Amino acid sequence: MPHKWGMAVDLDRCTGCEACVVACHSENNIPTVGETEAARGRAMHWIRIERYWEGEFPEVQVKFRPVLCQQCDEAPCEPVCPTYASSHSEDGLNSQIYNRCIGTRYCANACGYNVRFFNFFTPSWDKPLHLQLNPDVSVREGGVMEKCTFCIQRINAGKVSAGIEQRPLLDGEIQPACVQSCTANALVFGDLADPDSTVSKLSKSPRGTKLLEELGTKPKVTYLQRGSWDDSQKR
Amino acid sequence: MDRRNFLKVGALTGASATLTSCGNPEHQMIRFIPEEEIQGGIAIWKPSVCPLCATGCGMLVRVVDGEAEVIRNGKKGLIQMGLARKLEGNPAHPISQGKLCARGQAAIQVTYHPDRIIHPLKRNGVRGSGPFQEITWDEAITILLSQIDGLAAAGSQNALAFLTKPMRGQRQTLISRFMQSYGAPPPMNFDPFGDQVLRRANAHSFGHEQLPTFDIAQSRYVISFGADFLGTWNAAVPQSAGYGEMRQGKPGHRGKFVQVEARMSQTGANADEWVPVNPGTEGVLALGMAHVIVNLKLRPGNLAALAEYTPAEVAKRTGVKTERIERLAREFAENSPAIAIIGGTPLAHTNGMFSALAVNTLNTLSGSMGKPGGISFMPQPGKDAPPGTSFNKFVTEQLASPESPVKALLLHEANPVYGSPSAWRVREALSKIPFIASFGSFIDETSILADLVLPDHSFLESWVDDVPESGAGIAVASVAPPAMRPIHQTRAMPDVLLDVSHRLAKPLQQPLPWKTYEEMLKDSFESISPGADTWNNAIANGGVWGKTGEPGVRPLVPLFPRYSEPEFDGEGVQFPFHFLPYKSQSFLDGSLAHLPWLQELPDVLSTAMWSSWVEVHTETARGLGLVQGDVVEISSTQGKIQAPVLLSPGIAPNVIAMPMGQGHETFTRFASGRGANPISILAPMAEPETGALAWAATRVRISKVDAASKLILFAGGMREHPDDHR
Amino acid sequence: MKVIKNGVHPHRGMLTLLIILGILGVVGLASGLLFESSILKGQPIAQNPPVGTTGVFTPAHSSVSLAVRHFFGWRPAAVQPIAFNHKPHLEQAQMECLYCHAGALTGPRATIPGVNSCMTCHNTIAKDKPAVQQIAEYFNRGEEIPWQRVYGWNDEAHLRFNHAPHLAASVSCGKCHGDVGSMADAKRIIDHSMNFCVTCHKEKKASIDCVTCHF
Repeated sequence: MPHKWGMAVDLDRCTGCEACVVACHSENNIPTVGETEAARGRAMHWIRIERYWEGEFPEVQVKFRPVLCQQCDEAPCEPVCPTYASSHSEDGLNSQIYNRCIGTRYCANACGYNVRFFNFFTPSWDKPLHLQLNPDVSVREGGVMEKCTFCIQRINAGKVSAGIEQRPLLDGEIQPACVQSCTANALVFGDLADPDSTVSKLSKSPRGTKLLEELGTKPKVTYLQRGSWDDSQKR
Repeated sequence: MDRRNFLKVGALTGASATLTSCGNPEHQMIRFIPEEEIQGGIAIWKPSVCPLCATGCGMLVRVVDGEAEVIRNGKKGLIQMGLARKLEGNPAHPISQGKLCARGQAAIQVTYHPDRIIHPLKRNGVRGSGPFQEITWDEAITILLSQIDGLAAAGSQNALAFLTKPMRGQRQTLISRFMQSYGAPPPMNFDPFGDQVLRRANAHSFGHEQLPTFDIAQSRYVISFGADFLGTWNAAVPQSAGYGEMRQGKPGHRGKFVQVEARMSQTGANADEWVPVNPGTEGVLALGMAHVIVNLKLRPGNLAALAEYTPAEVAKRTGVKTERIERLAREFAENSPAIAIIGGTPLAHTNGMFSALAVNTLNTLSGSMGKPGGISFMPQPGKDAPPGTSFNKFVTEQLASPESPVKALLLHEANPVYGSPSAWRVREALSKIPFIASFGSFIDETSILADLVLPDHSFLESWVDDVPESGAGIAVASVAPPAMRPIHQTRAMPDVLLDVSHRLAKPLQQPLPWKTYEEMLKDSFESISPGADTWNNAIANGGVWGKTGEPGVRPLVPLFPRYSEPEFDGEGVQFPFHFLPYKSQSFLDGSLAHLPWLQELPDVLSTAMWSSWVEVHTETARGLGLVQGDVVEISSTQGKIQAPVLLSPGIAPNVIAMPMGQGHETFTRFASGRGANPISILAPMAEPETGALAWAATRVRISKVDAASKLILFAGGMREHPDDHR
Repeated sequence: MKVIKNGVHPHRGMLTLLIILGILGVVGLASGLLFESSILKGQPIAQNPPVGTTGVFTPAHSSVSLAVRHFFGWRPAAVQPIAFNHKPHLEQAQMECLYCHAGALTGPRATIPGVNSCMTCHNTIAKDKPAVQQIAEYFNRGEEIPWQRVYGWNDEAHLRFNHAPHLAASVSCGKCHGDVGSMADAKRIIDHSMNFCVTCHKEKKASIDCVTCHF
């Protein structure tokens, strides 16, 4: 049975530490664009922490929300790509195929979550920073879109290992870089097609919501709402 | 187009294809035979310890082979070697529990930094301006030896000084023993933002001069007085892991978290209730809560000693309403186990000791000291380290005499020229010293004064060890071999020190019997528990840990602290704002500003990247005619700096806050000449008992200046919509 | 001389094309100059010393011909520094592919053996052969032999091929690499086009999802 990869983000656990943001850069060869390009809005953070302020001083509160590609089942970025570079994989992921991409950026335009990033320039790494690059992941050249892949390299490596050892994948065996590094264990990744997986159970939690659900994108990331002090929620 | 033309075009393309051979110069380089066993394309995981903050997270390093440019026998070429590619927390390590913070994830960039010092250097010009010239290790050691031998020959061993950030484990032992054996004073620790006040308070209250460990996972109520414990304070990684469990790890119960502070921090953003207080009155609030708890007989206690801390009186001083004080007190007492945490800004006032003791009183009252869900102290092996030489005393003595009392200074992992208030005149004090040698990997504001640089390996290339001070309920001793071979012509500082100690003209009184640091570590681990297995297991796992028989908390009579009014530098009218520098999420105290991932990491509350900024209350800014991005001059009695304004809903109207970390004059291509350094304008206020810098005691004024704004935000600002504050 | 028939120019197709291209070229040049194209001005727009990306438009390829070659997947044939002959190794010495290309069993890269591997046998065997003497020379200099890869793809294919699952599925080395054991000079005799891979994947019911190989 094909997998259906999904994620759950527990907003009550997320502390806004941004370990996930740096872990993602480290794992996925994301270029550092530098001060000038960052000022032009071209910094590339495949996962970012959004913060929402509520109230006015002194009754003020902040809410954090990690936002990454939602791997939508009805992804608005897919039908608009003229070369089928943004396509749906058999495991339910929205895959970005770099060698097909011709850089129209229509997919980024269509994405309501603002999670797609364009390589305006061919990235360079001041030596020897290039030695850190992950050999299991492509280095994207200029003119190519990129975004969170749920660490497809880790998913594929996990499937290969399980295949060679002729055993099924275990729940929690594959962890994208962000999930692995989350200090408060707020991020959970797994197979939504497996009803016993942690992520499947969390996706049905009464605290669960989806981001911009009203757009009809069918995102595969479930956000678990922040609790209030009177809660006695079951996980 | 007809066939003839098509063929012509095709031929042209084809011809140029064959003409352009593979001109990649890298393909012309020699490839040396690898010096280790290589498994092509396979990842190996090796243990290590993160050195970027005092927590000491155990990590696993993902090593995959790759080609690095190296020099062998004077020739440049490529070599296939295991290269670190990704850092993860070590799941078995009791401190990191399989996690790393954002800074730990970025630590890999230290090893591969393009501006790392890659071979020994000797000063070749006027001190403090560069330039340096490359020399060999033999030359470098010769120079160092001649200086140290020279002092010994003149009987001036006590004129040798060692300046370092506080070290633990065998590095600390080695440096201390070297200095002591040689006849020099103990090493100086430079760590003005390191919570010395809390350690001393804990010594008074609980007999442990140590940072506490919090069992947040099992706690039902956490109230934090200014401590950014989920971000930059104490053992942030295990504290965050515990916090996640406290919130959603126990079906049926969700712990409550209250943050008391004058400026919304990353930690404060997660609170169920955020309580702003007047700066310097955090301890008063704690004792106010204690008063209510004892008064309502929720816990037994000495009400007479707390008599003056009635809710009404406390409300007046702190700005927190009486109902709230009473409710917080009741909640704290009724939801056991409860923890009160104090750290960061409240300790950085002149009355920091009072506040720390006040919170210790609250914790003792709650009954959670030494219990699950409460506070304990990590067992620390061995005797307490002998007290170091005071850095402040050193600076004072240097400035007092025209001839420098210190004749030779050894620098290690400290940047006091950047990290001290200008008022301390550290650059002046250091510049007098006839000979300065640095073991650092980078040229920064302090190491640029060096005459000799003996670059250390990066931590991934070193034998690393650590004894964490806080973060777990059991004893931990971390140790790990190098995760990769060195990529530059660097040498491990402990090995250099040992080498020097064996070649001194006048041998050490108590010689250091090890040839290498590896030998020393092996010896120390085998003395903890003998047997080859201990050592082999330790280096395979990244250390040893386990329960010891020692109790966590020694019960002492709780000390009801004597009240002390916070003092501030700068008169109220001329300097209307409290100035709160804070350890930034990316750079801490500025020592991590050279890492590009951290420069580009959006600050989580403001989304600022590559920038300095000052947080000003929205209304205050409006009153001063300031809009977001306007550059202001911030002046204290000690000096002035400039920074763009960031409007914040989460700060008191009479407080402005600025992250530390930018404003480096010299610190690699990524940090040099960027932003402003708030530390420089701090007044030299001190906590009286420890002498620690009271870095929250400075008052300032701000005024708009006509300068180009360099505020770079990933999102629109502190509100969702960027136009909110226009 | 061409006769104009029916008022239509015989080379109208070519002329139309040239005119359109000419207009586009002029428009491009003009807008480039107007909007300060960095290529035409020959200097970066970014004023600060570049940190991170260069801030200057750098094409992914250093020349048009390189781009064309990479697009069609043309790679020059490998030219080896030493005339290595697979035949005696597999036939006389009875070695197997995995003896030297050991990485294929466990990981993504089959790997080319280092000079140390060669010397384990050749410090005694066939020392009289000139090729073996060349190996010894490299070894004595502490250098690896600069072999050139025979098979492989350009970076632009973004292919992350992994040998291990193919070996685990009992795909023989010869299926994709040809009978290298019978070659005196290892040549690329099988074209690793996408069609070649996908055909076998379809037969063996392996995944043909894009993201299985391109990521």
